[in-house]
Parts: sequence; C-alpha cells; structure tokens
Amino acid sequence: MRKRPYSRRIALLVSVLGLWHLGATGAAAQEAGFAVAIVVHPETDVDDLTFSELRTIFRGERQFWDNGRRVTLLMRAPVAAEREMILRRIYQMDEAAFREYWIGKMFRAEVASGPKLVYSADMARDLVTVIPGAITFVPASEVSAVTKVVRIDGKLPTDPGYALR
Amino acid sequence: MKNVGRVTVSLLVLVVSPVGAQVIPTGPSLRAFLFGDIAYDETEGDSPGGFKVGQIVAHGSAILSDRVVLFGEMSLTARDNGYALEVERAILRYELSDAIKFSAGRYHTPVSYWNTAFHHGLWLQQSVGRPEAVRFGTPFVPIHFVGAMAEGRIPDSPVTYLVGIGNGRGENISRAGDAGDVNGSRAMVASASFQPSSLLGARIGGSIYVDDAPVESGAAADERIVSAHAVWDRGALEIIGEYIRVRHVPAGGGSTSTSDATFLHAGVRLPGRLRALTPYGRWEETNIADDDLVFTGQVSDYDAVLGGVRYDFSELAALKIEYRSEKVSGGEAIGSFIVQASFAIPMFGG
Repeated sequence: MRKRPYSRRIALLVSVLGLWHLGATGAAAQEAGFAVAIVVHPETDVDDLTFSELRTIFRGERQFWDNGRRVTLLMRAPVAAEREMILRRIYQMDEAAFREYWIGKMFRAEVASGPKLVYSADMARDLVTVIPGAITFVPASEVSAVTKVVRIDGKLPTDPGYALR
Repeated sequence: MKNVGRVTVSLLVLVVSPVGAQVIPTGPSLRAFLFGDIAYDETEGDSPGGFKVGQIVAHGSAILSDRVVLFGEMSLTARDNGYALEVERAILRYELSDAIKFSAGRYHTPVSYWNTAFHHGLWLQQSVGRPEAVRFGTPFVPIHFVGAMAEGRIPDSPVTYLVGIGNGRGENISRAGDAGDVNGSRAMVASASFQPSSLLGARIGGSIYVDDAPVESGAAADERIVSAHAVWDRGALEIIGEYIRVRHVPAGGGSTSTSDATFLHAGVRLPGRLRALTPYGRWEETNIADDDLVFTGQVSDYDAVLGGVRYDFSELAALKIEYRSEKVSGGEAIGSFIVQASFAIPMFGG
C-alpha cells in the first residue's frame, strides 16, 4: 500500500484539529449565550432571591414561601439543556446522584414528595402560572409576557454576571 | 381558549405520568417505595452462613392537606419460622412553616446521623450493613422512639434543630416502648445540625438523649447519650464520621459507667466508565464499660474493619461485595465475605 506523503498527513491533521477547535468554540459560544430563567407563580410575593436561597428551595430545604404557601417545584424531565444547567449549577449533581438525593429525602421523611416533572418549556410555563406556590425554570429565550421571572442576586437573565448563564 | 386547553393537557400529563410525583397539591396524594435485598455470606468459624432474604420494606408518604403529611414504613424480616411484620416508622406531621413542624408517632431516634439518614432500605447506603453501634436490634442506643417531636430550620440560617419527648426504651432495651412508657419517666431528645450552603455537602451536628433506662434486675439507671457527627456527601465522595457516648448512673446510687462507639465510613464513586463502581471502607470500635448495669450481658466490645465495592448495575439496583474482619469482646478476628443485591422500586400514586 502506498503511503501518503508527510506533508499531506500533516495537512489532514491540521484540518481535523481546526474543525475540532471550531466545534468546541461553537459549543462554548452556545453555552455562553444560553441562560435559564427562574419563574414563579404570578401571585408569589418574591422578586429577588439570592443564589443561596434558590439552592435551598431547589434542594427541598426550604418548603414554604414567606406568605406560608407551600413551594411546588416543577422540574424539567431529563436531557433538556436547562435541566442539565440546574443540576450542574444548583445541585452540583449528575442524574444518578439527583435521583438518589430525592429518594433519600423522601425516605428520611424530610419531604413528602419530590419535584413534579414537566416535559416541555411550554408545560413548565403554563403550570407555573396555575399552581399557587410553584417555581420552575425555562430557557430565558422562552420567557413570555405573563410569566414572573425572579432576579437572582439582583440580576435578570439578560444582565451581565447572571448566575444561570 | 387555546391556552386553557394547553394547561388542561399539561395537568393531565402531570397526573397520569408514571415517572414524576405528579400530583397537583390540591387534595390527598400518596407516594410509595419498596426496598429489598438478598445476601449470601460466608463466615469463618461455626456460623452456617448461606443465603439470606433481607428486609422487604414498604415506605409511603401521603400529603393529606397543604399542612398535614403522613409517613409510614413497614418491614418484613425473614426469621427461621417465617416473616416478622414490623411498623418501623409511622409519623403524622403538621407543617406550620420551615421553622416549625410538629409531629407524633414512631421514629428512628436522632441519636445518630446514620440512624436517621439511612433507614431500612439498604439500597440507600453504600455498605452491606449498618455500623454495629446503630445496627437494627442493638441495645447500645435506642434505635426507635415513640413520642412527639418539633423540628425545623432556624430562619435565614444553615441550622436545623429537633426536640422530642417520648417513651424511651421498652422492657427489652433494644426495642422502643411501643405500648407505653415502661417506667413512667419520659425520654427527651434534642439534636441540631449545621449545613452551610457555601460548603455544599458538608454537615456537622450532634444530639443528646436523656431517659431512665430499665435494668434487667428491675431497677433503673439514669441514661444520657451524646453524639457528634461530621459528614461530607457531595459528588463522588461520601465520608461519615460519628462518635456516640452512653453514660449510665444506677438510680439507687453507684458508680457511673461510660461506654462509647466510634466509626468512620468513606466511599468514592469512580470516574468515567467505572462510575458504576463505588469502593468503600469502614472502621468501627465499640467499648463497653465492664461495670455497666444496663449493658452487662447484652452488649460487648466490638472492633471491625471492612472494605467492599458497590456496583450499581441498574438505576435502582446495586450489587455489593464486602469483606469484614470483626472482633467481639477482644477475641480472635473473624472474617466474613458477603455478597448482597439490593433494590429500590418507586411506586408513584395519585
């Protein structure tokens, strides 16, 4: 079998590396532009949460709003990019650890039920407006005029330095 | 109109979904889990070993209203002559807020972190069994507690607390006083833990338990149990360290005796393609005072070192392979090899 000259092999390698680099930077750019908005029921008397407060709510450590209404956490089903971001940033867990975390919490009688699963951003957005005390998350690009977006550490998804971007 | 239809469809999907918890909290709802395990053990010496069906455990929680929640846990344990049915936990709780929740029922006593973090479902814990100091059936600490409790999280702080009053130990000190207090002296328990949100996965805490413990001779002894724990449970790494100290003072006067137990458990889930594997290890030591009025003839000194690997071969099932070396009352070390399969089955209801 005839071997390719070294110059062609090097050119091929450089091309592959170039394409890989373009793909990687493209994905990074996509990640950098992707933001998740935290949305609550319109009557929930909350406009701003610290990231620490958000974490205690999502981890089921805080189960009541200040007005006494029970928190209902609506969680997007697996594979959605916004779920992956919430697991990574807020829970700092992968899917297996997340599942074990909630089973353990229910088994320890710390919570009576886990998060309610929703299967699309539309479903999350619709349900959060009809379930009193509900909180959920949607891609910032899918926030509608009727949804109530909560600031995190004083920042909205469009602000620089937003925590869930 | 279109929006109303979409919301209706969403609600229907939420209610009938087999995966999520999925019930809009407008009325009573129920969730249940089934846990179980089967094990094979080979032990040096006279122990026959063999296959053992472990506990089959049913756990359920029901939201009866926006504030009232019911938790229940029942077990079936294999015995030589059949299966024993036991109510492990039954708790009715009124949740006023995050800061104050009142409850009554049968609990796992918060005298140890392990005793309240890992209940009867062995799938939840890394190792094949519990540490000896908090083994189900041990007389060393009261594993179960029948009474009432108040618990909650101190507002705007990482501190949780729990205080309780109950019957204390039964005539058989390894059991709770399920049918009433055996000596008319109520047991008191209090615990607190600190879990900083800036250090996710870290927890330190402690507890105190006070009661008059029944003694086989018919007398009683003032019992005081204090414990402390430190836990790291984040990502792949889990570390649990606990110290439990039990002090007994004979009611009619006499010398104070102090016994204690310490254990350190650590496990780490491997990265990448090996992430289904979790090697773990534990060191345990229990020292019983020679002149202890309550423990004499019932609890012995105990030392153990164990190591094993947990293999999560399915999302909700695990195989554990463990080797233990145990010494009882300072005797010869006895080795055991155990293989255990455990599972959890979520059964969601509406």
